[in-house]
Order: sequence, then C-alpha cells, then structure tokens
Amino acid sequence: MKKLLIMAIIASLFMGCSLVKEVKPWEKETLAKPIMQFGGLHPEVNKFESHVYFSKEASRGGSGVAGGGCGCN
Amino acid sequence: MIKKILYSLLFSSIVVMALETGEQLPKNIQEQLKLEPNKVYVVDFFASWCKSCKKELPLVNKIYQEKVVEVVAVNVDKNREDGEALVKELNLTFPVVYDQDKSLVKSFDPLGFPAIYYIQNGKVLHVIFGAVDEIDKKITEDIKSIK
Repeated sequence: MKKLLIMAIIASLFMGCSLVKEVKPWEKETLAKPIMQFGGLHPEVNKFESHVYFSKEASRGGSGVAGGGCGCN
Repeated sequence: MIKKILYSLLFSSIVVMALETGEQLPKNIQEQLKLEPNKVYVVDFFASWCKSCKKELPLVNKIYQEKVVEVVAVNVDKNREDGEALVKELNLTFPVVYDQDKSLVKSFDPLGFPAIYYIQNGKVLHVIFGAVDEIDKKITEDIKSIK
C-alpha cells in the first residue's frame, strides 16, 4: 500500500511534465512570420557578413556557410 | 477502494483526439458550418500566414465555381481582417466562416495546415493534411469516387 502511494506520488509529479502546452497548427501565426526565420528578416545580410569575415581572416568554415573550393571568391 | 483509485490515477491520462475519417461531427458544429443534408462538402481550414493555403485556395475556388463540390472554408486568423483581406485578394467566392473563438478548429483538431475534410451528413468521409499539388484534380477525383 505504502509502495503504491509512493508510486502514485511520483507518477503525479511526472504528470506535470506532460502539462507543457503543445503548439497547435492554427497557433503558429507568430512562428510563420518572416522575422522568425533563421537569420532574422534578412538572412542575406548574415551571408554577406560571413563573406567579409572569411575574406579578411583568410579562413572559412564553422559558421555554416557552404564552401565549394572553386577558388572563385 | 483507495487501492483502486490509486491504480486508476496511475494509468489514466487525458487524450484529445483529432477528428478522423468515419467520425461524426457534433450537431452544433454542423450548424455553425451551415451544412445541408445529403450534400458532400469540402471543409477547408486556412490562414493568411499559411503559404500552402494561399496556393491551394484559388484551385479550391475554381472547382467550387465549376460546381464540382460544395465548399465551406474556415479562417483561423487571430485578426479577422487578415482573413478577409486574403479572401478579397484571392477573389474567393465560397462561403467563409471566421473562427474567431477557435471553437471549430479545436473540434476538428487538424494535425497540419491546410486541412481539408470531406463531410456528408455530418460524417467525415476523408481528410487531407498539408499541401497537395493540383488539389483541384485530387478533390475532383475523390468526389467522383465518393459519389
């Protein structure tokens, strides 16, 4: 009996974890806004900044910018 | 007795299920959508921020105008004005229900957008979630197989 009571208490504590509210498809209006995309409103600015960085530092990589190795930069 | 209660507490959980094929719509929802008996309806959930909806809605409107099927669309935008602007922009002619209190979309509980339900006499005949290329052709084929 005591064991069962402890189990019930532990289970009820874990049930709290399931109370995190799921975002439903119709609630994704804010998430769908352009400002929410990776890199913000103007991801091309990030790309340009990365280009300046690797040109000045003579190194690239590690920032997620694709490198082709064609020597055309 | 206490043991039974504790066991039921351990193994109970509240599960909310999305409306699936074969299930019946509650009467109040049918009334809200103004569904007439015996007709096959396409109930299309959309929002102005949903890009796939924007792509599909003109095609759905096309088959509605060609009288392939009856259409009722449900807009789920937070601001009704956003939904109305999209309807105007796309020149949609089918009836649109603005689900401001989200009671309709919560009853259907679709897994994704756009969400299309085929409904006849309050019964869900088929469900399509997500973007489909040439949705007009898909719906026309489905309606043929239903009739």
